[in-house]
Amino acid sequence: MLTGWRDFDEALRSIDWLHRHIDVVFDDRIGSGPGRERPWRRATWPAVNVVETKDAFVYRAEVPGLGEGDVVVQVEDESLLLRGERKSDAPKGYEVHLRERAPVAFARKLPLPGRVDAEGVTATMKDGVLTVTLPKSKDTLPRQIAVKAL
Amino acid sequence: MSETIAVQNNGTTPSKQYAARAVAPPVDVFENADEVLVVADVPGVSIEQVDVRVENGTLTLQAKRSSDGGGTALAREYEVVDFARTFRIPAGIDAGSISAEAKNGTLLVRLPKIAAVKPRKIAVRAG
Repeated sequence: MLTGWRDFDEALRSIDWLHRHIDVVFDDRIGSGPGRERPWRRATWPAVNVVETKDAFVYRAEVPGLGEGDVVVQVEDESLLLRGERKSDAPKGYEVHLRERAPVAFARKLPLPGRVDAEGVTATMKDGVLTVTLPKSKDTLPRQIAVKAL
Repeated sequence: MSETIAVQNNGTTPSKQYAARAVAPPVDVFENADEVLVVADVPGVSIEQVDVRVENGTLTLQAKRSSDGGGTALAREYEVVDFARTFRIPAGIDAGSISAEAKNGTLLVRLPKIAAVKPRKIAVRAG
């Protein structure tokens, strides 16, 4: 059908509609409904930022709702492993109007950008942000070599 | 329903150019006979940085997030921006006794209902 801009707009709307429905189909929470609280698995949870400072790599992960005992932090073969579960905190006996904060079980393996001193790794949790500080391995820190006159 | 002053990056403008930005936090809304409960994920926010406001039948949640330390970014999956979200609240909420608490980066807002809208059980006496 030959269309004017109005119908073109309509077509875009249909694409958007389709998009949303496809997202629903591929969302594995489908069929769960508000009653069931099956944890949702997502490869990208939690979101992580990584920064490099002079002597360490710092990983920060957004884990709202998790306390210090709820996440396992491991360093193994050149990667950092974050594992845990955010259980459903839906109160009992309440009707659900909106549920955007799904319970989630997660395991993320993040590559380390360089060699680290595994013994010196520290992890802290504050206001739902996990901070893992991995000191760089001594061998990789820049070293100045004194030049001796012969 | 939700108010996002968000990052609209249509591929032509770098999102950096948007000055004051905020994202809408994901929320859960529950209700029982006594109250409406709003739970929001606001990682990196402590209770002093939260502003909960009720006016003209709307509930506004705002949270300032402070930057979390320097260094050279190697990977960035989230942005450290403020949170903001607005809801229209139903009639029958006792605006004066709304309370909020924050724990582990989640914000819990309790909106108690006024007595008139709560279901009341009438005792039936034998005559």
